[in-house]
Amino acid sequence: MGQDLERYHRQMLLPGFGEAGQRRLMDAKILVVGCGALGTVIANMLARAGVGHLVIVDRDFIEITNLQRQVLFDERDVAEGIPKAEAAKRKIAGINSQVTVEAIVDDVNHTNIEKLATQLPGVGRVDLIMDGVDNFETRYLANDVAVKHGIPYIYGGAVGTVGASYAVLPHTVAPGETGETPWEKVGRATPCLRCIFEQAPPPGVNPTCDTAGVIGPAVSIVANYQVAEALKILTGNLETVSPTMLNFDLWSNIFKQFKVARAYDVGECECCKKRNFEFLDGKFGSSTTTLCGRNAVQLSQKSNGQKLDFDEIAKRLQAHGKVTANKFMLRADITDNGEPYELTLFNDGRAIVKGTKHANVAKSIYAKYVGA
Amino acid sequence: MSENVTVRIPTALRPQVGDQESLDVAGGTVGEVLRSMNTQYPDFGKRLYKSENEINRFINIYVNDEDIRFMENLQTPLKPGDEVSIVPAIAGG
Repeated sequence: MGQDLERYHRQMLLPGFGEAGQRRLMDAKILVVGCGALGTVIANMLARAGVGHLVIVDRDFIEITNLQRQVLFDERDVAEGIPKAEAAKRKIAGINSQVTVEAIVDDVNHTNIEKLATQLPGVGRVDLIMDGVDNFETRYLANDVAVKHGIPYIYGGAVGTVGASYAVLPHTVAPGETGETPWEKVGRATPCLRCIFEQAPPPGVNPTCDTAGVIGPAVSIVANYQVAEALKILTGNLETVSPTMLNFDLWSNIFKQFKVARAYDVGECECCKKRNFEFLDGKFGSSTTTLCGRNAVQLSQKSNGQKLDFDEIAKRLQAHGKVTANKFMLRADITDNGEPYELTLFNDGRAIVKGTKHANVAKSIYAKYVGA
Repeated sequence: MSENVTVRIPTALRPQVGDQESLDVAGGTVGEVLRSMNTQYPDFGKRLYKSENEINRFINIYVNDEDIRFMENLQTPLKPGDEVSIVPAIAGG
């Protein structure tokens, strides 16, 4: 065994892994979208497992409230105020110097995700997309790219004490035809995320980690499950990839594996069946405008027309500062990482975040405190 | 065995049903069970339904481990002891 492989001895002992599997991992390129709670656990475990190339993209900086669950960061990172992607790169360099990490500090949106997944200089097309994000808009973008380009995508989500995960081995051709991907050739393609959840929850409906809280174990379990599925895919053990969606609640002691396979056969998915990439095409999702001279950013949501439930949102935001609402708008004072912001929400989901000129910051505040 | 089915309530909807994790409810179909819950807890129904006969599309409902969309939807029959799970998309991370 070469010296470069010695550190992987314990996982190479596993049946279906071996040196061949390890070599495949070392040749693999993975895009980790989001480097918060899920993303840090994912990047940490993938780096330790010896994945050759990690592209880590995140728009945020590290805050003290992240340390309870975001395992790659420490107090020094908070004091230095460095971006999450850069801090992750620094940590991984000390964990496994055999891994190449590209740290990209940017918002992931419909204008750049395809480039990140398929055309990054020195990387090219990635072999897998890992979901470490905190909102459904970015998840549907990742799902669109995965299906369009035939790249496996592993969904993960966690809030409070609950979590969910599911591996998409995408269909790349019309129903009835057999695609050229390894998983399609052996009949292991799975429904995409939009087959399972046809629509994103409208803004303000779902609790977020910043309004409802989250415990570290919930995110760690999800992220490690995602990594396990990734290892199966990358080592070529496609027959062992779960065709079900994991869903659990640690506080209620419930673990479920929901069957989802029929979602592709019976459903009419816009994405993987009709090959209509609505998020990638910018038809859905949000857009931002910096409001000149006002130190504010406007976020416009292209939603399904559902009105926001101000009563519910107000209840969640009261723990963060003063909230006032009427029939037309809700205004909340929020202190995030020591910085004061004023969030104004309109009932169609449009928002103005005052206190920043940066679209990234405004989108982050929206995802954290309103949810999308 | 109870004649009822058990309905698992997700965290986000528990405040609408008096903070209960699960409810034992009588009903022969998924639709009947949810209607009966809706009568008792109108706020729960407001969150669950998009229109009178349509569940919001970011919420899935499973009977045991099968998605009702791929059985008979709200007409999916239930037998005593079945478990109905209401599963919203989980966005955090």
